Amino acid sequence: MNWKLWSLKKSVWVFHVNTGACNNCDIEIVNLLTPKFDVERFGIKLVGSPRHADALLVTGVGTRQAALRLQEVYRQTSKPCVVFCMGACACGTGIFEGAYHVAGPVDKIVKEVDPNAIVAYVPGCPPKPEAMISGVVKALAAI
Amino acid sequence: MNQQTLDKRLEETADRLIGIERTQENRVYLLCESENVYDVCRFLFDTLNLRFVITTGVDAEHCFEVLHHFADDECGCMVTVKAFVRDRENPELDSITPLIPGAEWIEREIHDILGIAFTHHPNLQRLILNDDWPEGVYPLRKEVQP
Repeated sequence: MNWKLWSLKKSVWVFHVNTGACNNCDIEIVNLLTPKFDVERFGIKLVGSPRHADALLVTGVGTRQAALRLQEVYRQTSKPCVVFCMGACACGTGIFEGAYHVAGPVDKIVKEVDPNAIVAYVPGCPPKPEAMISGVVKALAAI
Repeated sequence: MNQQTLDKRLEETADRLIGIERTQENRVYLLCESENVYDVCRFLFDTLNLRFVITTGVDAEHCFEVLHHFADDECGCMVTVKAFVRDRENPELDSITPLIPGAEWIEREIHDILGIAFTHHPNLQRLILNDDWPEGVYPLRKEVQP
C-alpha cells in the first residue's frame, strides 16, 4: 500500500458539503460527532477546509446552483480522496428526480471533473449514524 | 381579540372583497381582485394588528392565485387574503413589501418561479433559481414541463 493511501485510511479527515439537502442528513452527520457516536475515536474528524480533507461528505440532491461549487470543492480536495454520498438524494436524486432545479446525482457531478473519483454511497432518508459509520468502514476496507 | 370580534371586524372591509369563505371555524379566506390586495392587507396588518405569516402562489390554470396568510395569535384564527391575478400574459400584483418588510423574500421567490411581477417591490431580483437559469421561464407554471 502506498503511503498516501495508508495515511488516508489511518485517520480520515472529512469535509461536509451540502449540495441542496433538507438538513436532515446534515443533522445526522452532526450526530456522528456527538459523544454518543463520537467518530473521532476512529480518527474521523470534521475539518473546515477541503484542502485539509481526505473525504467529502456530500448531502443533498446536487442542485444546479450547487453543482459548480461541488466540482470546485472536489478540485480543491487533496487527492486521493473519497466522496461519500450521504442519503437517498445524494445517491440518486431521490424524490427530486427530474425536477427543474436538479443537475444530477452527486456521483455524476463529481465524475464530470474526475472520471476515476472514488465514490461511496450510503442510502437512507436520512441514513442512520450507524449506517454512515458502517459505510465509511466498508469504503475504507475496499480501497 | 376573540373569534366573534374578529369576524365582526372583518366585515368592515367587505366592500373591497368579492367573497368570504370559511373552511373551518378558525380558517377564513378573503377573496379579492388584484387591485384591492394592498388595502385589504393594510387593514389586516395595521388596523387589526394580525401577524403576517407567509405568502403562497398557485397556478390555477385560468388565473394565478396569490395567498397572503395572516394569523391572529390570540384566538388562533388564520385569515388568508386570496388575490386573483387574471392576466396570464403579464401577471402583476401590488407588492405588500412597502407595508410588511418581511414579505420581501417570499415575493421575490414567487416572482422567480411563477413570474408574477410585484409592483412597487423595492428589490425584485432573482432569489432562488440558479444564476444561469434562462430569463422568462417560470418552472412552476402549468405549461412548463421538466
